[in-house]
Amino acid sequence: MPQPKKKNEMLYFMLRNAKLRIGVAVLLIFVVLALVGPLLTKYQPRDYVAPGVEPPSSEFWFGTTSFGEDVFTQFVYGLRATFIVGLIGGGLGTLIGILIGFIAGYRGGIVDEILNMFTNIVLVIPSLVVLLIIAAYLEVRGFLFESIFIGFFAWPWAARAIRAQTFSLRSREFVDLARLSGMKPLKIIIKEIAPNMMSYLLLVYILQFGGAILTAATLDFIGLGPTNSVSLGLMMNNAVIYSALFLGMWWWFIPPGLAITAIVGALYVTNVGLDEVFNPKLREM
Amino acid sequence: MFKKIAMLALVIVLLCAGIAFGQVFERSETLYTGGKQWGPVSNWNPLMTGNYATGTIGLVYETLFLYDPLTDKFMPWLAESGQWTDALTYELKVRQGVNWSDGKPLTADDVKFTFELGQKTALNFSSLWSWLSSITKVDDYTLGFKFKSALYQEWDNYLYNVPMLPQHLWASKDLKDVAIGANEKPVGSGPYLYFAYDQTKMVWAKNDNWWAIKALSLSVAPKYIVDLVNTSNENSLGLVLQGQEDLNNNYLPGISTLLTGGYALHTYYPVAPYHLAANTAWLDVNLQKKPMDDVAFRKALAYSINVADIVSRDYGNMVQAANPTGLLPIWDKYVDQNVVKKLGISYDPAKAKQILAAAGYKDVNGDGFVENKDKSLITLKIIVPNGWSDWMAAIQIISNSTKAVGINVQPDYPDFNGYLDARLKGTFDLAIDNQAQVSNTPWSYYHFIFYDKLADIPTTQGGNYGRYNNQTAFDLVTQLDKLATNDLQGMKAVISKLQTIQLTDLPIIPLWYNGMWAQMSSANWTNWPSSADKDNHYLPVTWNGYWNMTSILMLTQLKPVVAK
Amino acid sequence: MRRYFGRKLLIYIFTFVLAVTIDWLIPRFMPGNPIQILISRAGLKAESANLIYSYYIQAFGLNVPIWQQYLNFWNALFHGDFGISIWLFPQPVIQIIMRAVPFDVLLLLPAILVSWFAGNKFGAYAARSKWLDNTISPLGYILTATPYMWLGIVLGWLFGIILRILPFSGAYSYAMMPSFSWAFVGSLLEHWILPFASLFLVMFGGWAIGMRNMIIYELEADYSHYLEALGAPKKLIRQYAFRNAILPQITGLALQLGVIVAGALVTEIVFSYPGIGYLILQAIQNHDYFLLQGCFLFIIIGVLLANFAIDITYVLVDPRTRTGMQGEG
Repeated sequence: MPQPKKKNEMLYFMLRNAKLRIGVAVLLIFVVLALVGPLLTKYQPRDYVAPGVEPPSSEFWFGTTSFGEDVFTQFVYGLRATFIVGLIGGGLGTLIGILIGFIAGYRGGIVDEILNMFTNIVLVIPSLVVLLIIAAYLEVRGFLFESIFIGFFAWPWAARAIRAQTFSLRSREFVDLARLSGMKPLKIIIKEIAPNMMSYLLLVYILQFGGAILTAATLDFIGLGPTNSVSLGLMMNNAVIYSALFLGMWWWFIPPGLAITAIVGALYVTNVGLDEVFNPKLREM
Repeated sequence: MFKKIAMLALVIVLLCAGIAFGQVFERSETLYTGGKQWGPVSNWNPLMTGNYATGTIGLVYETLFLYDPLTDKFMPWLAESGQWTDALTYELKVRQGVNWSDGKPLTADDVKFTFELGQKTALNFSSLWSWLSSITKVDDYTLGFKFKSALYQEWDNYLYNVPMLPQHLWASKDLKDVAIGANEKPVGSGPYLYFAYDQTKMVWAKNDNWWAIKALSLSVAPKYIVDLVNTSNENSLGLVLQGQEDLNNNYLPGISTLLTGGYALHTYYPVAPYHLAANTAWLDVNLQKKPMDDVAFRKALAYSINVADIVSRDYGNMVQAANPTGLLPIWDKYVDQNVVKKLGISYDPAKAKQILAAAGYKDVNGDGFVENKDKSLITLKIIVPNGWSDWMAAIQIISNSTKAVGINVQPDYPDFNGYLDARLKGTFDLAIDNQAQVSNTPWSYYHFIFYDKLADIPTTQGGNYGRYNNQTAFDLVTQLDKLATNDLQGMKAVISKLQTIQLTDLPIIPLWYNGMWAQMSSANWTNWPSSADKDNHYLPVTWNGYWNMTSILMLTQLKPVVAK
Repeated sequence: MRRYFGRKLLIYIFTFVLAVTIDWLIPRFMPGNPIQILISRAGLKAESANLIYSYYIQAFGLNVPIWQQYLNFWNALFHGDFGISIWLFPQPVIQIIMRAVPFDVLLLLPAILVSWFAGNKFGAYAARSKWLDNTISPLGYILTATPYMWLGIVLGWLFGIILRILPFSGAYSYAMMPSFSWAFVGSLLEHWILPFASLFLVMFGGWAIGMRNMIIYELEADYSHYLEALGAPKKLIRQYAFRNAILPQITGLALQLGVIVAGALVTEIVFSYPGIGYLILQAIQNHDYFLLQGCFLFIIIGVLLANFAIDITYVLVDPRTRTGMQGEG
């Protein structure tokens, strides 16, 4: 099929898809907030701005923490951190997943079996436990480390999905044709299989992104997040530690969790919407 | 059909039998405490300091005397009296009529046996035997302690800290078991008996044959004491607010705001600082590292810390700033005001900057922080255990206030063992420390600051983690130890010299007094210790070492709230 | 078939030995000396400290050469002895773990199973009609996007603190000792509701969405259209679609069940529920390597069993995988 027509067709369906519209809209709101937010506030996340335990007011939109820090400031800086971890962690997970998934799916046989077992083991190891051990011995923890670690444990899901896709694509006619015509396996992967999986890879990445955000929030909540910065998970952690629940400081722990739910939910919805766009069979339900 | 009926009948019978076995503690006769036990109970050995279940010493095992830090008086407990008959001999009279909970009488043999255990194996009072030469039994209730050299201050400390053990049960234990055994189903002389435990709590039951009921007309009010295992501070707060925990000794942030919230909460003082002072929180400075080995730098550091901020913002005024010597309020009489006036340090950022500049510390590269005299960067790390939320917030405040004068101090939160390790091994830069507790003598405070066995620091927890080396100071501390406990003038003279050394050299920097955190709920029990009640100035604390500093007497004052 | 399973078994045994060896190495590679820390708390003089150190070394069986320690470890393993805890000295590790496991099973087994059944059912419904899809799907997405601890916090806050109708911490009342009585069971259930609910809701969302997506895929596959063209009733088509869609869900289930032993760490933290997850966190924080070692062993066994279950279900349920595994061409 000639390319331009396909692109326009894709765009047309994208704009018409309700799920995509909603998902992307919600995401955009938060992205904009993350980018612009820090400009809206004159404070730094850790500055003491007012007496503590203040409910939301016109001056402090999200109130203050037990120590008099501005919750809104922490919120928008935390958004940034959350997005970065999602981007990098999800990206790394997708990359590794692609590598392993492609190879396993295309080669099959003993290679596949070994990679499969490896994938299953990594999948099943409680990554949290391993991270607990590693993080307990690291002097300083930064976002980069957290993202890398998340990526190293998130790839099995991507690998399995990609492997399955590669499997099914591999047995398609055009691949058989390419093989019959004597193309080398690597070339087949790059020229025939990958392009047909582009959209699929995008979907995988979106899921990894969302997953990374959730994992990062969990790590931060347990207290294994970066030691010197703010993130939504850390906000929830601090809120709980400083008894926000019992002191009735709902403005401290509700917004971060709500934001994560909204962002990850939007990502999932976008994922489904895109799936419908890419996969004509799903378009009309 | 018949089988089905029989099965059903069996099930019903079992269920009914099951109902009968449920143990539920009657609320009006049970006292719920919490705040000391951070992990499940596994040990009842009073010789394993730091490991035994809450109340092992105090509720079950008892000491020869009780010490009241607020009045600075000793109260005869298992001992009837004790005195120095000459400079090197101490005569102890053991109380008569005391029985162990298994019915056997407590005699001087048990006391002698207990002390001699310290000679046979390594216990925390074993070091006593380096200056105690022998114990002689004069009669069934009198002992004579013969010393090689008499360290009066230290001896008094042992009098209210060493738990008395029953010889008839412990003599047959092998030494390893004595030192590190679990000592299940402990048998002691105290007002409570071992009852039960599970992974969330320890339950003690009242001993109706306690000796003090007759001898001192004292009776403990709660029939059961249930000590809950801590899971987190905020969880404890919730339990206290809902009246499920009666006495909590955790640090609970925000308590001051909750006192007026209708939760029937009570603290020792009704207004700031709400809690009694328990120990001094000070800044350990590692004198082995640059630039902390320069006294001018240490001075500047001390002047730059905004303690008032920590007290008000971090603690909500639940603590007090320490006086420049760091001596606890109970030792106010030993503070030499002249020395303090001359050498005392308080928050003064301008002065801090002045001192830095005069000493040659300049900001060479314009990053806002001063560098070493040899132009190398100064990046110091200050550590506290992860999870100690109040300290975590405190070092953030410290980091900010030192930043304002140009000293780069970064907060870090290793887990507790990592923090301990760094202090013991001397690998830290700066750390917050509060090990020196309320005790019977300021000697223990100075012994901690000027602990002289530098080579032993990694294995003991003796203090002086900054490795300050000053033989004059060490000698003064030993001299202090040898002074009679009623020699107020003599003690003041030596302590004044120690204060001069401390304030000139600044081996440690006193910051604030950590409190005897005690939140009490009046929902089920009343008549808690209070500054207002002149008859009830007992300590409301369940931590190790506090029961024998009159917390046990708190239990005799409690009254259950009778439901209308 | 037999050769296939035989080979698999060999791989599993090999993996088990390797994993257990790594597990045994854990305490010996971690930085810091927890025994030293245990001793330093006692505040002894140097010579005394050495004596106590020797006692502890003996108690932990560290006074024999390394290779003997390794063999002793395997020996103890087959006797169900996982060593002694440092943090909770001198309790045996197995005792500590077994105290925590029932709570995890109590919490996670129902949560996983019920959410799996309910999620799949609802997911299948959602694939039936557009209306259902538009109500169930958004709910599913929101639930599965919710972080566990946040849902736990909000539920605990609402029901435990604001409304005060359910307890917000613990596995059973602090006024009770564990026993076979109605009161205890009642208390257990009362404390179980909120943690269960927070786990169930999030998992439910995930299964529902997964099932819905799988079914839609299957309904759009060639064979579905073919059946439709043949005039087969919708119910029949859905049945086939369901059976194919359930495959990955079964593997997912096996996975989840296998990791029960790792506990639901975050939920346990929020509700102070004494499960294995929380135990592991405390073991790490307290440098209790032997407890950690024991917990890991549990997890390893669970992991391998889960793995095995996945392999078996794949083979039993999906014939395609058998051929796929035979390699190219």
